[in-house]
Amino acid sequence: MFVTGGWTGLRGWSAAVIALSALVSCGPGVGFDAGDAPVELQSEPRPGTLRRLTTAQYHNVLRDVFGEELVLPTRLEPDVASEGLLALGAARSSVSPRGVEQYEEAASQVAVQLTEPGPLRDRLLSCEPGAACARETLARIGRLLWRRPLSAGELGAVDGIAQQASEALSDFHLGLRYGLSALLQSPHFLFRVELGEPDPDDEGQLRYTDWEMASRLSFLLWNSGPDGTLLDAAERGELVTDAGLTTTLDRMLASERLEQGLVSFFDDMLDLAALETLTKDPTIFIQADPQVGPSAREETHRVLIHHLLTQDGDYRDLMTTPVTFLDRKLAAIYAVPAPAREGFGEHAWADDSPRMGLLGHASILASNAHPTSSSATLRGKFIRERLLCAAVPAPPVDVNTALPEPSGNTRTLRERVDEHLENESCATCHAFLDPIGLSLEKFDGLGGYRELDNGAPIDASGELDGVAFDDARGLGRALREHPRLPACLIETLYAYATGHAPGAAEVPLLEALQARFVADGHRVRGLLRQLVLSPGFRRAAAPADGEGAP
Amino acid sequence: MTRRSRAISRRTVLKGLLGGSVVTIALPTLDLFVNGNGTAFADGAAFPRRFGLWFWGNGVQPSRWVPEATGADWELTEQLTPLQAVRDRISIVSGLRVHAGNDRAHESGPAGFLTGAPLKIEGERETIQLPTLDQVLALELGGETRFRSLELGVAPFTEGRCFNGADSRVPVESSPHAAFERIFGAGFTAPGEDPTPDPTVALRRSVLDAVSEDARGLMSRVGAGDRVRLEQHFDAIRELELRLARLQDDPPSLAACALPAEPAEEYPDVQGRPPLTERNAAMTEVLAMALACDQTRVFSYWFSDPLSNHLYPGAEAGHHKLTHDEPGDQPQVNTIVQYIMDNLRVTIERLSAIPEGDGTLLDNSLVLATTDVSHGQRHSLDEYPVVLAGTACGRLQQGIHHRSSSSENTSKLALTILQAMGVQRDSFGMEEGESTEPLSGLEAT
Repeated sequence: MFVTGGWTGLRGWSAAVIALSALVSCGPGVGFDAGDAPVELQSEPRPGTLRRLTTAQYHNVLRDVFGEELVLPTRLEPDVASEGLLALGAARSSVSPRGVEQYEEAASQVAVQLTEPGPLRDRLLSCEPGAACARETLARIGRLLWRRPLSAGELGAVDGIAQQASEALSDFHLGLRYGLSALLQSPHFLFRVELGEPDPDDEGQLRYTDWEMASRLSFLLWNSGPDGTLLDAAERGELVTDAGLTTTLDRMLASERLEQGLVSFFDDMLDLAALETLTKDPTIFIQADPQVGPSAREETHRVLIHHLLTQDGDYRDLMTTPVTFLDRKLAAIYAVPAPAREGFGEHAWADDSPRMGLLGHASILASNAHPTSSSATLRGKFIRERLLCAAVPAPPVDVNTALPEPSGNTRTLRERVDEHLENESCATCHAFLDPIGLSLEKFDGLGGYRELDNGAPIDASGELDGVAFDDARGLGRALREHPRLPACLIETLYAYATGHAPGAAEVPLLEALQARFVADGHRVRGLLRQLVLSPGFRRAAAPADGEGAP
Repeated sequence: MTRRSRAISRRTVLKGLLGGSVVTIALPTLDLFVNGNGTAFADGAAFPRRFGLWFWGNGVQPSRWVPEATGADWELTEQLTPLQAVRDRISIVSGLRVHAGNDRAHESGPAGFLTGAPLKIEGERETIQLPTLDQVLALELGGETRFRSLELGVAPFTEGRCFNGADSRVPVESSPHAAFERIFGAGFTAPGEDPTPDPTVALRRSVLDAVSEDARGLMSRVGAGDRVRLEQHFDAIRELELRLARLQDDPPSLAACALPAEPAEEYPDVQGRPPLTERNAAMTEVLAMALACDQTRVFSYWFSDPLSNHLYPGAEAGHHKLTHDEPGDQPQVNTIVQYIMDNLRVTIERLSAIPEGDGTLLDNSLVLATTDVSHGQRHSLDEYPVVLAGTACGRLQQGIHHRSSSSENTSKLALTILQAMGVQRDSFGMEEGESTEPLSGLEAT
């Protein structure tokens, strides 16, 4: 009964998908070429929404537009998650007074760096100082930052600011700062404005414009703004045609920059950014230090890139792959020799190792645990919510939630959380979470391996929706075969790509995407391709309140 | 309410006395300009009245918190003992209940108390529905100061729960150094100093003007939901413009205003435990001087977030985990609540050590200290913990324990606070959380 879609309005469609995937459950190598036939299904388009750039996007855009030397401003309006995703928070949050202040300060820091003598300024300016140069520069940079050409009026406004400042300060470069600062503080930069236009080929329908498609593609696939090449393709009108879009999309999917896009998506889906603020009690976990979180995040990033892009592997095999990448810190936590003297090296877990797949990563094990201990409940919740998109009911209010302290009879966490399962008000949820999480109990709160909990041997057996197993490897295998695993990836990716949680009207589209994903051997690059070519990514609708243009 | 006019600042008076020539005279004290009763400035304007929220996460143990006797002769309970030194500066309000529903442990409490409205829950999505009390007051009282409100945090990575409206969080600054830089760095003018003439301020304002025009232009093209977001962005840009406009004003001339000591850049964890006492002392100093220098009249101060799971000195697990898992009568949780109350005492003592006229800055303020649940272990919302400090310029009593015997709505207290702060409102909250009458028994007689 809990195996339902986590997204609002989606309950019910998963049953159909499970049936569907059971029918078409072919592994890799079925031979279907997902390449050339986009998903044709129509779906009810949804209105475009403003999306505020996340901190990572803000940084990526500045670095891509201005160069690696730029020192990036760090204090920005914080990202906010909604329904568990920053991508949805970005489509709902605004800019606070503090945020305006920070964006102003950030714009000023960037503009100062760009106009001081040095390589950044040399790259920015391709003309001799003068009014025409300011205008040309602001038009060129404005197009990159706003992801479309500025209108004459818009350019006149920022150019006017630069002129006014140049005169007031009697300095061309100082004046240009204010023009650049205006570009960087504008909602046209801070928000992705994707509202659609009437589709000339389909009366009464809206499609995303060429410029908007350029943004949608680049933020999805690179987590950054469109580059000059992509904007040129938009300018030529190519991104609203099937052929033009396909050509550009294939170029982008083959590009190394896809790694950044992929990692950003999984950062959001798996909440890996939380690792940057991981705290553990070093008196209990002697390996704990501030480097653990970032190292653990990097391990997961490298496995995702290696498995899903380099190997073009089956998404489900992430749960069971023996291959990983470790630095010295992680090797010490996992108690294996470091595979590389410096940085990360590849390591393969033996067939009899207790550790394999994503659930063996310290990133998942440590961030879904407490500062001083493991947590079967948090780990079970992570698997249910993040990997299977199940709705986990909120913990109860106004009941006694105490766990018994370890004693002679109840030394291990399993024995102690049995209380959850015996108490009826707790059992409903905890039976849904704990039996999964308990199979990871041989990994402590930092992700290190252990045989004992409080001196008593750990029983790592568990159960996931009717599939029983003896240990973490068994959990990994059960998850790999779970029908919700691919469905959840698709739902989450769809929400991430479009900025809204899919609703009932989009179920046929999700089902079609899943059928293709299954037939294609669960390859994520292929899924991205199908998603971008689908109407869900290309078609818009007018705002529901009937106001606003177009 | 009466507001002190900036047009008649001290230096303006001096300039007038000196025949209009521009002379800077730094005067260390203001007594000359205070009226005979010491309750207002010589020009008759009242001292600024301030509101602050002081918040901590994970509640209390009500059996160790609620005093027995009511009125003026109550005794500090186990968990209130750390407030001994400020016993006569605070009032305890007990017996209230959050009426706006209890659907999400740790979130329904702050939402219900601070907005008076139930959390809005649609599937996996939850958000508050109305602006929080501090932001309501910021809109009313924040118009004259450099910052409409300040949101400060003590524990690392604190997010707070201040909202301007649904999905519109007001972020918290939890680095003392960054807070110091923001308030006392560029743009701050100490009393007695002349504002530094800065030709770039006008340029920054014209940039903001262009940016706000962009926001306004976009509003006509988007749907209703996005329009609200752009309006919030627009308002925030305007606020910064106003602040820049004031940069060239004379600074407020308050005697106790001084540049606080610069906090350390970092307060690294000690054995995985954030040094909360040190962080609190540093942040309290920044807060105290921000108020003394009239940089803001509304603050929220987040000692820790709802649900926060920090390790406290000597504790064997994170705070939130302990509230559920510690067996028996939870001695470690008890110690943590006392530790937090001791930090509350530090803030209250600091504000009451700042003289203002015949009284103290605390007298001219009202601080509401509260938390996200009543009994942390049970996520209960009855017997809600409330400490009030200060009198809002003599409007509220201090030193009493006021008990509601009928589980009255926390929204009644919110309404009392609004009215004590001089805001004319006849209701607070919505749906089952709404109250149309204030809590009686707190007003000074």
